[in-house]
Amino acid sequence: MGNYSFNGGIVIKNSYLVDKVEIVQASLPKKITLPLQKFDGKAEPCVSVGDYVLVGQIVASIENGFDVSSHSSISGVVLSINTQDIAHKSGFKFQCITIKSDGEDKWIDNKAGNVDFLHYSKETLVGIVQKSGIVGMGGAGFPTHIKISNVLNCHTLIINGTECEPGVMCDDALMQFYPEEIILGIEILLYICGADRAIIAIEDDKQAAYQALLTVNRNDKININQIPTKYTSGAEKLLIKALLDIEILSGGFAINEGIICQNISTIKAVFDAVINHKPLVSRIVTVTGNSVYPNNFEVRLGTSFEHLISMASPNTKEHKYRTGGMMMGIDIVDINMPIGKTTSAIFVNNKVPEPIVQECIRCGQCSEVCPIGLLPQQLYWYVKSKNFEKALNYHLPDCIECACCDYVCPSHIPLVSYFSFAKMFSKQQTIEHDKVNTARERFKYREHRLERNKLERAQVMLDKKKVLKEKMVKEQFQKQKITEAMQRVKQEKDKI
Amino acid sequence: MMRQVIYALSLGIVVSYYFFGWGIVLQIMLGVITAVAVESAFLALRGRDIISSISDGSIILTAILLAISIPSIAPWWVIIVGVSFAIIFGKQLYGGLGNNLFNPAMLGYVFLLISYPLQMSTWPINFLSFNQALEVVFNLSNIDAISGATKLDEIKNSLSLSSSIQQLEIHFPSQAWINVGFFFGGLYLLFRKIISWHIPVSFLVGIVITSVLLWISNVDLYIPMQNHIILGGTMLGAFFIATDPVSASTTLKGRIIYGFLIGVLIVIIRTFGGYPDGIAFAVLLMNMTVPLIDVYTQPKVFGQ
Repeated sequence: MGNYSFNGGIVIKNSYLVDKVEIVQASLPKKITLPLQKFDGKAEPCVSVGDYVLVGQIVASIENGFDVSSHSSISGVVLSINTQDIAHKSGFKFQCITIKSDGEDKWIDNKAGNVDFLHYSKETLVGIVQKSGIVGMGGAGFPTHIKISNVLNCHTLIINGTECEPGVMCDDALMQFYPEEIILGIEILLYICGADRAIIAIEDDKQAAYQALLTVNRNDKININQIPTKYTSGAEKLLIKALLDIEILSGGFAINEGIICQNISTIKAVFDAVINHKPLVSRIVTVTGNSVYPNNFEVRLGTSFEHLISMASPNTKEHKYRTGGMMMGIDIVDINMPIGKTTSAIFVNNKVPEPIVQECIRCGQCSEVCPIGLLPQQLYWYVKSKNFEKALNYHLPDCIECACCDYVCPSHIPLVSYFSFAKMFSKQQTIEHDKVNTARERFKYREHRLERNKLERAQVMLDKKKVLKEKMVKEQFQKQKITEAMQRVKQEKDKI
Repeated sequence: MMRQVIYALSLGIVVSYYFFGWGIVLQIMLGVITAVAVESAFLALRGRDIISSISDGSIILTAILLAISIPSIAPWWVIIVGVSFAIIFGKQLYGGLGNNLFNPAMLGYVFLLISYPLQMSTWPINFLSFNQALEVVFNLSNIDAISGATKLDEIKNSLSLSSSIQQLEIHFPSQAWINVGFFFGGLYLLFRKIISWHIPVSFLVGIVITSVLLWISNVDLYIPMQNHIILGGTMLGAFFIATDPVSASTTLKGRIIYGFLIGVLIVIIRTFGGYPDGIAFAVLLMNMTVPLIDVYTQPKVFGQ
């Protein structure tokens, strides 16, 4: 394994660097809000309003689908179960459970203890991961138990510690403060997936984390690899390219190549679940930006952004809030929304006037930084003129929305917004198209059926007619016979 | 960005001023005033925002490029007509910045060259003071003694009178120095990453290869390579005109093809064409092929 590279990407100066990375315990919130749906399927609440719940108690469970169970992260009383806004790209409302804290932080009875995980079967461990509500904590939130169960031919486990978004340092902190836990967590995953090796990818500006892991790592199956600090190297497919020089095909998945990627935070959660029997009820969140002193907080899931921001004590000016990252994150207007399993950072910045958007001059800087090798200027042209078919020909669906093009555009055009809109639109169009096709198929089938019924009926009539005719012929024949017999009798009579 | 290009141009302009005097300053002033006036009028007609469009600097750049391309002693109306044409037909009728197929400055230049060949081919041969320039440009009096043809034209005319290259005395400090000025301005743009190296380098390679091939075929008949490089508007073309992002190819491979073919065309037009310099024609011809080049030079998409 060496240091390969991918085209494009940008080096962004990390403007919120701190001398020493810390993790501060955030105070208990007064109430929490747990969203129940992320992917397919929905966790069904298994508590009702007024119930008393403990920390780590399952409040919503799931039978099928891609979602995972939710656990209460505080002890208290269920206040409400209703739909609310959460910080999600779609802007949709989600069903949420709101719990009011009793301030006591009472835990469920979890048999904590340093159990040797090798005593368990792989299936049991996957079960533990599933029951603990662990999802990919890097951003996408894909359920971890699905990623690691039933994997065939997995040879490499990649641990993503790159954190390429400027300013975010929650994974950096985890690696510095919990290196042993992380190594053990990786060993658990290696055992579950049956992979031959694990590679931890760390950007070369995180020397402290690199050294920390290096000192505790005794496992020769685990390799710690430094990669150059460059934005978008945290994207799964690009990371695989940078580490192994393997290019995952468009529309394909890493597991097709025998590779599984996991985020550092996820590894820590797996460790907690398997060794400490502790479900996922908290995570490390970076609070940064030019209005706060940058720091990491260990915060209970479902805490409002407001609670956390108040702990970082920003000044009283008007702020702009963004979650996820400077580049790929989303702006948040309502800071009462809850922190979720995938919330890695909150940016609190002074409000600055938005730059004026000017015309595209086709300078091509966007295509130089695009890690996928797209031509954003061309895509922009087609999307703006609503020529979505042409945009699809120019590989619009391959856009990973990393916003490198937005960052370098001298005309300040929000290119990614155009692209995500176009993607959504063309998806919608495909759905509509499918609907029309289904309707047409149905209509055709109906026509066909009516025709067939008609034919069948005609056949039945024909058959009936035939039978009747046969009957008639038969009757005629009998009649004739009778007449003949009568005639014969008559003749006999006449003879006498 | 456009502003940086204007700064980069200033070195070449200063050198031009040193050799030819105030004429060039007058032309630039006339050009810029016309550009702002015409652009404002047109934007007002189209109901667009005037301030943001003018402040992006693109039309000022167009005006300056055209003003330094035409002879500095051309009558005042030449630059006004040229800039108006460039902005109206080269840019606004296509929908404004970013939508034009052709390089507006070169479109204006070719329009002037075809319409007013006489005014477009007389160059000053020495430094003009402010008053002299004023008199010439505004047609107050005729100063014949200060004008002559461009050097490339001169060589071609002499060659057609069947004197061989060796017999011609070729040293042209003024044009060579101006080219040096634009060359360093271009290096500044490369250094500031305003332009990428692809177009200027392939452009010059195109000129070198074509001119060397021609020169080898007949040493007596064709201008040697170094003269193609240091005469005419070569450096201005390589770094400032062919690199116009709007009308050039946007893919990396496409830019190399685009620049190279412009270089080839320039030498061919200079050698076999009827006009003194071929840059404007070469650029416009290649502008037409850009959509085609762009389609066939798409980069490889990750995972495809």
